[in-house]
Amino acid sequence: MKLGPKAAVTALTLSTALAMTACGGAGGGTAGSASARPTATSLTLGANQDVRSWDPAQAHVGHALQPYQAVYDTLILREPNGKLSPMLATEWKYNDTNTKLTVDLRTDVTFSDGAKFDAEAAKANLDHFKKANGPQMAQLASVSDVAVVDADTIDINLSSAEPALEYFLSQAAGLMGSPTALGSEAIKTEPAGSGPYVMDKSASVKDSQTVFNAREGYWNKDLQKYQKMTFKILADLTARTNALVSGQVDATLLDPKNGKQAEGAKMKLATNQVDWSGLLLLDRDGTKNPALANVKVRQAINYAFDRKTILDQVMLGQGTPTSQPFGKDSGAWTEELENYYSYDPDKARQLLKESGFENNVTLEVPTLPGSETLISVLQQQLADVGITLKPGAAINNTFIADVAAQKYGAMFFNLFQGEPTVAIDQIVSTKALFNPFKNTTPELEEKIQAVRDGGDDAGKLAQEVNKYVVEQAWFAPLFRVNQMYYHNDKVNVTPQIQQAVPSIYNYSPAK
Amino acid sequence: MIRFIAKRLGSGLVVLFVVSALTFVLLYTSSGSIARNILGDQATPEQVALKEQELGLDQPLVTRYFAWLGDALSGNLSASWFTSEPVANSLATRIPVTMTMVFAAMILIAVCATLIGVAAAVKRGWVDRVVQVGAIVGDSIPGYVIGVLLVTVLAIQLGFFPATSTISPGVGPEAWVYSMTLPVIALLINGVTGGAQQIRSAVIKQLERDYVRTLRSRGITEREILFKHVLRSAAPAGLTVLSLQLIGMLGGVVIIEQIFALPGMGPLAVTATAQTDLPVVMGVVMYTVVVVIVVNLLVDILNGWLNPKVRVS
Repeated sequence: MKLGPKAAVTALTLSTALAMTACGGAGGGTAGSASARPTATSLTLGANQDVRSWDPAQAHVGHALQPYQAVYDTLILREPNGKLSPMLATEWKYNDTNTKLTVDLRTDVTFSDGAKFDAEAAKANLDHFKKANGPQMAQLASVSDVAVVDADTIDINLSSAEPALEYFLSQAAGLMGSPTALGSEAIKTEPAGSGPYVMDKSASVKDSQTVFNAREGYWNKDLQKYQKMTFKILADLTARTNALVSGQVDATLLDPKNGKQAEGAKMKLATNQVDWSGLLLLDRDGTKNPALANVKVRQAINYAFDRKTILDQVMLGQGTPTSQPFGKDSGAWTEELENYYSYDPDKARQLLKESGFENNVTLEVPTLPGSETLISVLQQQLADVGITLKPGAAINNTFIADVAAQKYGAMFFNLFQGEPTVAIDQIVSTKALFNPFKNTTPELEEKIQAVRDGGDDAGKLAQEVNKYVVEQAWFAPLFRVNQMYYHNDKVNVTPQIQQAVPSIYNYSPAK
Repeated sequence: MIRFIAKRLGSGLVVLFVVSALTFVLLYTSSGSIARNILGDQATPEQVALKEQELGLDQPLVTRYFAWLGDALSGNLSASWFTSEPVANSLATRIPVTMTMVFAAMILIAVCATLIGVAAAVKRGWVDRVVQVGAIVGDSIPGYVIGVLLVTVLAIQLGFFPATSTISPGVGPEAWVYSMTLPVIALLINGVTGGAQQIRSAVIKQLERDYVRTLRSRGITEREILFKHVLRSAAPAGLTVLSLQLIGMLGGVVIIEQIFALPGMGPLAVTATAQTDLPVVMGVVMYTVVVVIVVNLLVDILNGWLNPKVRVS
């Protein structure tokens, strides 16, 4: 009798255990094909994060663009080397003043919900993008209106020239969703596009995996290389590494240290350079830090860094030392600026002496999580020439607002290297977030305007802007960072210019 | 007993309300420009203002709290600012994963810790010493380190288990068992060693009590003394430790789920916090508070059932 309650407890415990296991099992659904290893016709990618909304106007760049490409076509296709080719747009042409882009469209394309792609649909998308307040809405900021010319032609009218517009039409702004679904609640969770794949909603779980199946009758078989494509969401770097080396995913983005493990497991590297790392010397008028107003001080900071050694020690050599903030693929890059500030501590000390700030320069920078080692190396090298670097509190999620509010006079950061006007409006112009003190000169304004009006010559004209900010030492760039994108031998991967993860068209089954 | 449960549930609701209000105030007053975070670095001030209006951030804090509370009471817990998905939906798909793992680990911890603890207390000698040393070693290795070791050896080198979760719609229970085995082991090692240590002390303490000597003098077998009397008296200590471990595990599971890419509460909590997706963070906090309240209540009830001396009126 005495054993009664205890037995009951045991029974309860056991039944709870069984019940929980059963719940778990049932929660996962009924039997089916478990994690079958990808065959030649299926591709599984390890992604850093899930998309927030399938509304094409909420698409972003790089990692946050890739999944959209599975379900949405863009007006213009950007090839791996950056060349812009026809996609939903067959032809496009500017007027003489570069303020009107006339775009001819395909007539044989339908969306997955049955709606037809035509000039009205394209206009609906561009109009929606402009007002949907998405993360890349700035891409169409220069568009004043979109006019339907005929069933397969639109005019995109600009309030001012934007040399990057064609590029934007190959990115988030160019994604075309079904006009009947745009703006609805449904499109947030289930995409409706004309792309090579359609989402398998029953097999997809938010923040865990998204499954796509090849779309029947897709208009461009060359861009549809797989029967099935799965994005497995693996936010944790260790998890991504483990999933890749154990064969659960075919390709994913790692970092130099984890890359060593992947290389040990015979994974292949498809690398390119997308970001630059370095100091942003933001307070060039000396609002908060008078020393930074002196160009000699800013140049001295540049001469203080032994970029090659820092790269080798901290980044395992994965990158290229540089003195310029503009990217190699942007057209603004020049050979002469690459090593403009070579390591020269004596010259740095000399410049500081001339500036009158000898042993009297203190830089306060916020700590970028994950870059603590790098910042301490910078601190050491600056100390060698008599500059004090004080790492402050870690950057947190109020960071963008803090930068805009002029909280930081200088900071260490990694920044994307985009097309000339993209980069200018990111770090140089008075519109740029990373020019919070709105520094400029008439000379610089003139150079920037020349780029904006430059049309096809924008890249070349941006070399002047690049030269200006390098000579004036607006930044202290350290290096362009190698993106460590690894894949197994079942898939061929071509890196995509200016993207850490390739576009989905760049994967193909290995023969 | 029913009055006791009702009373505890009532106080639980008060705690839930107070925690929700405090968390809400803390989160909403210290998160900087949320609209700016959502829109990214290209947003103009007008766009930020528009987004703030969309999210209701231009309303006074009290108005926003009661709007959230109304939504919470209707069972929606409001919607994610980033994905627009109702928070209740996100929780519903994730709680089964986390709870299956936590309960499987707890049950194993309860069984293993009891067996080891009792063995150490009764046998003493070398068994006891091994358990004591094991407790120190087990306690000093964090669960995530054990997790990484298990993945490297058992998943990557030997290929016995998947390196990251294969749980997805349409998979059978075997995928759940395979995906959960390593994370559960990683979770339970600390718990078993810590729990065994507590149970050992409690059993030893009981074995030294007068009533045990009296029972022995009356010729009752050691086995009967241990299982019928000592274990029962030692149970409250064990239960309390287990309940604390379960609550602690809600934190540990966050990292374990990241390592094994399990679609549970951990990644949701981490992503939501990093993005300042406050409605989701509120949902995660509410879930945690509910679990803590329920676990404490269950422990009190079980304690009373096992040991009349601690039974509450």
